Amino acid sequence: MRSTPKEKKPSMTGKLEGKVALVTGGRGGIGRAICDRFIKEGAVVYAADISDAGSMTSVADDRAKFIKLDVTSEENALSVMATVMKEAGKLDVLVNAAGIEIEKTIEHTTLEEWNRSFAVNVTGTFLASKHALPLLRNATTGGVTASVINFGSYDGFIADPGLAAYCATKGAVHALTRAMACDHGPEGIRVNAICPGYIDTPMLQSFFAGAGSGGKGGTIDTLKEAVRNVHPIRNYGAPEDIANLVNWLASDEARYASGQLWVLDGGLSAQVQQMRL
Amino acid sequence: MDNDFQKVAIVTGGGRGIGAAIVRRLREDGALVVACGRSARPEGLDDDVVWVRADVSWSGDANRVIETASKYGPVSILVNNAGVQVEKTVRDTTDEDWSNVIDINCRGVFNMSRAVLPIMEKSGGSIVNLGSISGHVADPSMAIYNASKGFVHSLTRSIAVDHGPAVRCNAVCPGWIMTAMAESGFALAEDPEKAKADAIARHPARRFGTPSDIANTVAWLVSDQALFVTGQLFTIDGGLTAASPLQPGLL
Repeated sequence: MRSTPKEKKPSMTGKLEGKVALVTGGRGGIGRAICDRFIKEGAVVYAADISDAGSMTSVADDRAKFIKLDVTSEENALSVMATVMKEAGKLDVLVNAAGIEIEKTIEHTTLEEWNRSFAVNVTGTFLASKHALPLLRNATTGGVTASVINFGSYDGFIADPGLAAYCATKGAVHALTRAMACDHGPEGIRVNAICPGYIDTPMLQSFFAGAGSGGKGGTIDTLKEAVRNVHPIRNYGAPEDIANLVNWLASDEARYASGQLWVLDGGLSAQVQQMRL
Repeated sequence: MDNDFQKVAIVTGGGRGIGAAIVRRLREDGALVVACGRSARPEGLDDDVVWVRADVSWSGDANRVIETASKYGPVSILVNNAGVQVEKTVRDTTDEDWSNVIDINCRGVFNMSRAVLPIMEKSGGSIVNLGSISGHVADPSMAIYNASKGFVHSLTRSIAVDHGPAVRCNAVCPGWIMTAMAESGFALAEDPEKAKADAIARHPARRFGTPSDIANTVAWLVSDQALFVTGQLFTIDGGLTAASPLQPGLL
């Protein structure tokens, strides 16, 4: 039985020493792992989320500063950025990790659910980025770049069943990522998107219990062996796997990386559907 | 025969499967079709289809196909359909396998395109290459085939860029089309019927493709309806690759 990536500790390299980072959805499955990693790398980290608990229980040694943010509210975005400006004077790294998933086909998706999906996943990315720009510009001195990391999904390229609105919002994030990179690259602001595949988060577990099991019901526990076997690397991902890439994209090592969509899915989408032959 | 207004079309690998369907369709659409393949003229091929026995992986043979077709007028349609597959991983692929797949799938497309371009640059034309979904995403144990189709996709763009506006060049990328080639894939399964049912369930169209599905696409691409279409790859797979490779409902 090979070990899961979770059991391996990421190396601490102090890559983000002196940097200020804000992670929206910072109390979620992936957002939490990113905050933890950023802190280990020496950054000052703001975990912005709609509630302190988020979808994960708080941990005692969590040093990320919680800052309440409803990403759909422009007023909220403005006040959060004002706070960061006052306390830190700049923002080197913005991670737009807040996201929701409505597990329905378009037929059963209400207009309210559709609008809510876009409000959080797309408008949230827009608002946080828009109002972070003055702070990001403050971080770009002496040839150092600021980094915005959006959350797309492999679902922005190919569809999972019963996730129509989610898939559409992620496609929008992909296009927005390129547009932002194009517009703000000249100012020293890099913009990339990470497109995760199957990552072991509360969102994935919910997907398995609902739309993902084709209505049969199930959990990541009952399905995990089968799911692992469909992946070329024979495993689904851990939030820490995503944090590894976010950390690199946030660091100065990634100074030439911009406008790209980084699929991180254990090879899942590199293959044609795996028929049972 | 009055060829003044009849387009001359070449279809490589036109003897069977998808190629044969393209031959039939272009003929129905009014083209004079020259088909080629490594075998003798197939039985039942319509009398007015010209057959050239040729191996497109040899430039001499490719040139001979173009010369034969040119007797009927300037060639304005070339469909590079000839292709073979070897069902192996890189580790198991022999030098012979490599030559077989790369010579036909890659060199063949190159040989035919190079030979036809001087004609098409003068009088206009449309090249359609047969790529594959396997050139975008990997089919297991088809390493060299997958790579050969990636070559075709890339060459398609280069020809379009280098030889427009006189020449348009596009690729059609079929998914699972029920041909002898696909049947041999299912033959590898423990339970071929069960494997087929599973595969069909993964297609939003809930069926496999037919050779005529591909012929329809080729016919449109070479028609005057597609005069602004060039340098593109068109996937015709019943929706297969629009969906995730992981279908929890089918696990």
